[in-house]
Amino acid sequence: MKRNSLTVAIGALLILIFALLLFVFQVRQSEVAVVTTFGDPKRNIDAPGPYLKWPWPIQRVYKFDQRIQTFEDKFTEGLTADNNNLLTMVYVGWRIVDAKTFFPKFAGGSVPAAERMLEGLLSNAKGAVVGRYDLSAFVNADPEQLKFDEIEREIQAMVEAQLRTNDCGIKIEFLGIKKLGLPESVTQTVFERMTSERQVLVSRLQNEGEAQAEKIRATANRQAAEMLAAAEAEATRIRGQGEARAAELLPVFEKNAALANFELRLQAIEQSLKERSTLIFDERTPPFDLFQGYLTNRNSK
Amino acid sequence: MNPNPDSLPPPAAHPGAVDAGSQALAEALRSSFAVVRFVMVILVAVFLGSGFFIVGPEEKGIKLRFGKPVGEGDRALLGPGLHWSFPYPIDEVIRVPITELQSLRSTVGWYAVTPEQELAGTEPDAPPGTPLNPAVDSYVLTADGNIAHSRATLHYRFDDPLRCVFGFTGGTNGDFTLAGVSNAVLNTLNNALLQAAAQFTVDQMLTRDVVGFQEAVRRHFVQLAQARNLGITVEQCEVQSRPPRQLKQAFDDVINAGLRRSKVLNDAISTANQVTNRASSEAAARVNGALAARTRYVETVGAEAKRFEDLQTQFARNPDLYIQQRLVETMSRVLTNVQEKIHLPERADGRPRELRLLLNREPVTPKTQPASP
Repeated sequence: MKRNSLTVAIGALLILIFALLLFVFQVRQSEVAVVTTFGDPKRNIDAPGPYLKWPWPIQRVYKFDQRIQTFEDKFTEGLTADNNNLLTMVYVGWRIVDAKTFFPKFAGGSVPAAERMLEGLLSNAKGAVVGRYDLSAFVNADPEQLKFDEIEREIQAMVEAQLRTNDCGIKIEFLGIKKLGLPESVTQTVFERMTSERQVLVSRLQNEGEAQAEKIRATANRQAAEMLAAAEAEATRIRGQGEARAAELLPVFEKNAALANFELRLQAIEQSLKERSTLIFDERTPPFDLFQGYLTNRNSK
Repeated sequence: MNPNPDSLPPPAAHPGAVDAGSQALAEALRSSFAVVRFVMVILVAVFLGSGFFIVGPEEKGIKLRFGKPVGEGDRALLGPGLHWSFPYPIDEVIRVPITELQSLRSTVGWYAVTPEQELAGTEPDAPPGTPLNPAVDSYVLTADGNIAHSRATLHYRFDDPLRCVFGFTGGTNGDFTLAGVSNAVLNTLNNALLQAAAQFTVDQMLTRDVVGFQEAVRRHFVQLAQARNLGITVEQCEVQSRPPRQLKQAFDDVINAGLRRSKVLNDAISTANQVTNRASSEAAARVNGALAARTRYVETVGAEAKRFEDLQTQFARNPDLYIQQRLVETMSRVLTNVQEKIHLPERADGRPRELRLLLNREPVTPKTQPASP
């Protein structure tokens, strides 16, 4: 009997497994599912786990990937509020949240069909929002005037509103501008403007450099002049000191003014007749006064 | 398929009362039961054995129990090796190729370049005056409405692999890969690059605030990634920017002007240094000269004074004699130095003589004197 009960247990287990395979289906974390009864979508499943169903052909399960998929629209041209042509490309992260709504809406839950619809919605919303803003709202150094985030949010809000009215079982997770551009002919104008900006920069750099160099040189010259002036003043002061000290010695000469005078005159004569001089003298000039009395003219005297 | 062993007559229950026919039947039944039992055991063994699976290198396994991943965060990931799970429909195993560090490069903002050019580091030709075709070359618009090329390279790792795997899909076939999250990351990176460029002027982006721009791209990206719960962490974000190729000359001119400017400035500084150095040495020389002159003057006057005192005693002894003596002595010294000496004897009548002089300092080249007769 023991062996028989083991056989029974194994048999029961096999039946159980077979029944499980027939009546139970799993929905993964990454999926949402809809159960149709004779083709009519009845049950919506949006949480992972095991679920029961009647076997085919009574009920059928359609599963959809509920994870976020990224979709981008075309790089299209639109007019901004200040009549600039601006090329924009938007990407959107969307996912299927409600399989029961999604399934009948797009022929058997076709994702490409959903993307085609999204593309239409996106281009409408994009055109409408871009037309409400100036070009300066897309690019601006001033964070107050830059409306990049706002534009993205507005496009998203508009697409979401349209999805709600259409009731598609789709949710937008995120939306952003992927690419911005200008029409080909406009780029040429932009290049011309940029070139002239560069030229302004070049001349500014040149002038600035020269002005600054001039300033540096002028400062140096002034400093040099100041230094020299200070040195001159110092030199004068020093020489003055010397003269003052020399003056202290003057009383020595004052003791005998006649002698001092005589000595000075002697010095002066010696100095003045030092080089290449011509001296004309008569007998009265010493020591030639010796000629006078004793020699040639003695008689005539 | 499911024979009930209980309904069978117990084999060999009545020994002796069994005929040959029923015995043969029992024998046949018993052997077929043995086969069925064997098959059942095999089935169960196969069922349980099918739970073994191998996770290969460079991939991770995730066990789903009734559709939900078993374990949280990194613990849900099974590394390479042999693992076991309950067979379907209880458990299900998915394999995800995961590498440690991911790298992505933004797909907007750069001009069209072939992989060969990219490797060689060259750029396609664009002569000045050609417009940018938005279908071919991509670029970013800067805050001052200008055009620049810029691209970001992002290195990141998957922080929350479950979010990455179960949050994003790469295709329509429900595969479990990271292509979906990579696509979302790439679009977010492009988005962040545009947002950052929209706030920076072309000069800030290219020269004045390159690091700031890179930081801004990273900041925008991190913000967006968090808001979208991409489940990744950014390791590094490098941004490369270029002026449009068409304007290369114009941009180079600015760089050259900057270089020339610093050269002019350096020249000025070196001239200034020369001037001040020369002035300071000149000043020192003047002061030193004055010091020397002072010393010399004071010394000289001192010596004179000393000499004068000596002379004074001589003078006091006999002034006349002294004067005569000094005068003659000096005159003799002076006269040796005098070049021309003209003695003018007094006329007999005592009247002064008249003398005419041709004043010419320059020495007259002496003419050959005619021989006097």
